[in-house]
Amino acid sequence: MKLGMVIDLQRCIGCRTCAVACKQHNAQPPGNWWNRVFTKGSNFHQNAVGEDDNLSMEFLPVSCQMCDNAPCEKVCPVGATYSDENGVVLVDYERCIGCRYCMSACPYGVRQFNWEDPENSKREAEYQEGYEYGYPFDHRDKDGHLVYTPNRPKGVVEKCTFCVQYTSKGELPMCVRACPAKARAFGDWDDPKSDVNQAIKGRNVTRLLEEMGTSPKVLYLPPRKTRK
Amino acid sequence: MKRLNYVTYLAALLLVVSLAAWGYQIKAGLVVTNMSNPFNWGLYIATFAFFVGIAAGGLIISSSVYLFNVKQLKPFTRIASLSAFASIVGAAAIILPDMGRLDRLYNLLLHPNFSSPLVWDVVVVNLYMLITFLSVYFQLLPDWKNEGSFLAGWTKKLTKNQVDSLSAKWSKRMAIIGLPVAILIHTVTALIFAVQASRSWWNTPVLPPDFIAMAIASGTALVLVIALLVTGKANFLKYKSAFNTLAHIISGSLVVHFFLVAMDLLLHSWWGGHGAGVLSLVFGRYGYLYAVELILPAVTMFYFFTTAGKQSRSSLLTGSILLFIGVFVHRMMLMFPAFNDIPLSFTLPGAHVENWKYPITIGNYNPPEPTFTDFWAYAPSGIEILVNLLPFALTALIISVAVTHFNFLPGQEQKNHRLGVYTNTATTASIENRTKN
Repeated sequence: MKLGMVIDLQRCIGCRTCAVACKQHNAQPPGNWWNRVFTKGSNFHQNAVGEDDNLSMEFLPVSCQMCDNAPCEKVCPVGATYSDENGVVLVDYERCIGCRYCMSACPYGVRQFNWEDPENSKREAEYQEGYEYGYPFDHRDKDGHLVYTPNRPKGVVEKCTFCVQYTSKGELPMCVRACPAKARAFGDWDDPKSDVNQAIKGRNVTRLLEEMGTSPKVLYLPPRKTRK
Repeated sequence: MKRLNYVTYLAALLLVVSLAAWGYQIKAGLVVTNMSNPFNWGLYIATFAFFVGIAAGGLIISSSVYLFNVKQLKPFTRIASLSAFASIVGAAAIILPDMGRLDRLYNLLLHPNFSSPLVWDVVVVNLYMLITFLSVYFQLLPDWKNEGSFLAGWTKKLTKNQVDSLSAKWSKRMAIIGLPVAILIHTVTALIFAVQASRSWWNTPVLPPDFIAMAIASGTALVLVIALLVTGKANFLKYKSAFNTLAHIISGSLVVHFFLVAMDLLLHSWWGGHGAGVLSLVFGRYGYLYAVELILPAVTMFYFFTTAGKQSRSSLLTGSILLFIGVFVHRMMLMFPAFNDIPLSFTLPGAHVENWKYPITIGNYNPPEPTFTDFWAYAPSGIEILVNLLPFALTALIISVAVTHFNFLPGQEQKNHRLGVYTNTATTASIENRTKN
């Protein structure tokens, strides 16, 4: 099994629902976002680029690209970042030594560090006292690696897990479920009938930074016409 | 020599300050630094690379004395080994505060991932620490045997002559084994950066040879500075030819360094276009730092080629200090352009957008800072600067304690018990004169 995702940029409306759903379900501390959406080429999201009579707006959601040739995994000195049997790149929160080499290595800028105890940052950000969000239980892989915990330890790196706490039960990642524009598909690249293989049928596909040879398992469908 | 006692006290004080700051950082988290998700390495890693560089002392001596038979450097073998040991201890020390989870460092032993250059570096840095320690130890062993020190306790059954030959044999062995390991610490430290295709500023085969060139220059400068301080003013002429040789080694390796820099800049810039994007940071925003990095070592290089640059203690010290500053800025300049040249960027020809960088989450909810950014104006925080005293204090402490307690200049065996330092009569006289005045 080789889990992957397809993001249809023709459908994406740049609403950032995926980023918010991801943040809430994965209990990300205030300063960390596993999932980002920006307007390509624009300094302000939802602002068009181009000249007066030739404006365009294209949105680009980026989270972990789940590389087959993942530089973050190769540089991790202690094997805290690893690919599981489904090709999902995960971080063991109990093994990470916080050296942040993976953050230097990742060309997509998706890796997030816990610069302080998440409890502190929630307080500093003035989140309501006692407001707990996110999947409330720890999740361990079959070898016992802690790959999700609602309160991350201080000093470890975190990133998108394809919602391992849900997808390991056969459910969809939150960004896929929450997308109001149905721009995302999730599934097994090895299965010709999977949603991802269906989604790319007859479409051009691209991957981010293809030339770097990271072989992402997240594919993008470019917009067929420019949005006006 | 007496001055080195003050160095001991000052270093001990700075060590305490840095440990206190580090304690605070451990409690609060790395949030007290000015690093962020887009700029995830800063002062600590730059300082690590700096200390690995100045740990090249052992390399210079073992290669020049044993490979090239440069006899005039023989009196400085102990100083060179000591400078190498003290610096590599400093390098290893400053890595520790950079770890988010220091308490889990044992995972390096339990689960080492051998595809990571960081693991290669852990191996070679520790090996070098061991070799340089043994090198110092075996060179001092005959002294300790003479004094009946407990440090030579295990040689009880050996005669003085046996200990002398044992010392000579093992000192030579350590120097010869140390040579390739010294080359490796610079190579592997450079590879930590150079293997990263995501950072075009690092991703060049020029980096490892340039690290070696910089290491030979700055490591020799450290040996030179310690030797100047330990021999004292009065002995300057006695060791002048050795100092000249060291200054020439510094200038020569800087020539190689500038050649490699020129090649690197040429290859980054000639083709132009987006590949040269990082150079707009190097010469633009960070142009003033880059100028320091180029000009100071260039001044030292030319100065040490001239007679004036080598004629006095102060000229040699000045040149060395300029070089240290230049090399340190070079290490910082590894970080600034690399992290602010965000790899995920786009050019939209239809919309006249060039090299638009995909913003990165800062990682710290810290209004009025934005949540995402495509540029991080990094400058170390006060806590970072205090913690960063650690390797400077540790290295200075090791060197000053060692040279004030043991004889690092063979051939000057006389111990002045009043000062508790090894010195010769000329130096003692000069110190006494100074005290009278």
